Amino acid sequence: MATELPTRTTNGERMPLNAAGEDNFTVKTGLARMLKGGVIMDVVNAEQARIAEEAGAVAVMALERVPADIRAEGGVSRMSDPKMIREIMATVTIPVMAKARIGHFVECQILEAIGVDYIDESEVLTPADHAHHVEKHPFSVPFVCGCRNLGEALRRISEGAAMIRTKGEAGTGDVVEAVRHMRTVSAEINAASRMSDMELRVLAKEIQAPYDLLKETAKLGRLPVVNFAAGGVATPADAALMMQLGCDGVFVGSGIFKSGDASKRAKAIVQAVTHYNDPKVLAEVSEDLGEAMVGLNVASMDAKDKMQGRGW
Amino acid sequence: MGSQEGSSAITIGVLALQGAFNEHVQLLREAAQILATKDIIQRTWTFKEIRNKPELDSCDALIIPGGESTAISLVAQRCNMLEPLRDFVKVIRKPTWGTCAGLILLAEAANATKKGGQELIGGLDVRVNRNHFGRQIESFQADLNLPFLQQADGKDFDTSQKPFRAIFIRAPIVEKVLPHVSGAQTGQASLDETVTAPSRTIDENVAKGIKLADVEIMATLPGRAAAVQDDKKEKLDAEAGDIIAVRQANVFGTSFHPELTGDPRIHVWWLEQVSEAVDRRRALAAETAES
Repeated sequence: MATELPTRTTNGERMPLNAAGEDNFTVKTGLARMLKGGVIMDVVNAEQARIAEEAGAVAVMALERVPADIRAEGGVSRMSDPKMIREIMATVTIPVMAKARIGHFVECQILEAIGVDYIDESEVLTPADHAHHVEKHPFSVPFVCGCRNLGEALRRISEGAAMIRTKGEAGTGDVVEAVRHMRTVSAEINAASRMSDMELRVLAKEIQAPYDLLKETAKLGRLPVVNFAAGGVATPADAALMMQLGCDGVFVGSGIFKSGDASKRAKAIVQAVTHYNDPKVLAEVSEDLGEAMVGLNVASMDAKDKMQGRGW
Repeated sequence: MGSQEGSSAITIGVLALQGAFNEHVQLLREAAQILATKDIIQRTWTFKEIRNKPELDSCDALIIPGGESTAISLVAQRCNMLEPLRDFVKVIRKPTWGTCAGLILLAEAANATKKGGQELIGGLDVRVNRNHFGRQIESFQADLNLPFLQQADGKDFDTSQKPFRAIFIRAPIVEKVLPHVSGAQTGQASLDETVTAPSRTIDENVAKGIKLADVEIMATLPGRAAAVQDDKKEKLDAEAGDIIAVRQANVFGTSFHPELTGDPRIHVWWLEQVSEAVDRRRALAAETAES
């Protein structure tokens, strides 16, 4: 099957070395593979982290405010307090991820020093650099980054991201943008798969992606790293939709702890991601979940209010 | 069950509740191709993802993949798969292999579990220590010598010539091999922060010929025991070191990820073990039917 992620990890033709002089990309992508078929949940304190763990989350994302609150409150949004992240790490046994601002490599150094298991260089926080993303290969800790299209995904992988997610539109509860980004990436890969090497060189220039990585992706028929859905997933059906569109797993941000019964909804979304192809199970777990998060309609939002445009 | 008696068809399931199940399917396919070139008996192998009991019932053997053991265990519990899995491994004793999270689930006792503990399937009389080496930044690759591969498959599989490059991701280890007891590991249950698997009685009618021997240590990780933090050191068996692969009857567990290496040698070896076990089971079933 062309859509399988091969067991040997490659990053185009290059396998850059870390500071210790070893290629650790296999180990970085290895953890992402272990998270596949699972749900990663945004949490703002240790108590929420425990609820997520009990619901069957494969990891938690520690952050100070969920995207819906960041959106409502405004201001500059930064890396969380290391103390809060440490408390969460001490409370759960599943991997703990944390967000750093785009381009803010010192926040990444701090998160690595604390010992988080994954860093999300995230557009949900206020970008710290107008042009550059963090050079991620030299870090020992692996990175996940968001994308809206194939070019953006491959630029991030080239910088060292060991895992990709759709950007979607965080904090809205509207899945339309996550769907748009996943469909865009898939359509671009399908088109690239039918191209000759000469045509791929032109495409690489157009989408500003490294040729080697683009060629590898075209050959595989999918992104060469694990790819999760994120940004607007609020229901079990949303999660299963993203899985059926070809995502390897799902991030849920505001969708859980901004809903009526967080624990029940979290469990339901976990089951939905495992049984994404079984509508009977999806119907069962979708029953009686209480209030979903209120949600913002992305179609009626101003461009300046959208987070997905952050990142270069 | 499922596959026809006396036929050469074997169905292998990979538990697909969460984790790196597809990687195992890929390596099983590669391994089957290698076997096709060396086997006298031609097998028809079927590899499939398992998410519910009817799918499990159709399998002759099972792989429990890497992933998050807490998530796999909770999902299994909520979709009523825990008991069918315990039946598969411990009552009818069909061959099962667990990697990383799979090893944790197959252990009779586990340490460093989440608050409130977690459900285990059991099948291996060992105690595992979760996330033994620490967090993700402590994850690593190491060259292993695996003597059991060479014994079974000869020169091409000699890991002293061509080491097995193993990948350890937030990996557990077997920190203690437990004496085999009939029933649950109640001695372990009384220890702080240790969870145990519930006991199940083997069904002698369908699992004839399977002797519940002691646990065999199949591989250790040299030179790592010294790196263990001091507070954990005293809990380790002095003679044990870091045990990273064990087998007890037809249950096999590895704390590393052969499915991330692209090296199918362990999968080839395991399919051969399964092949023999299935033949024995079918022969015994045929004898019983005749008498």
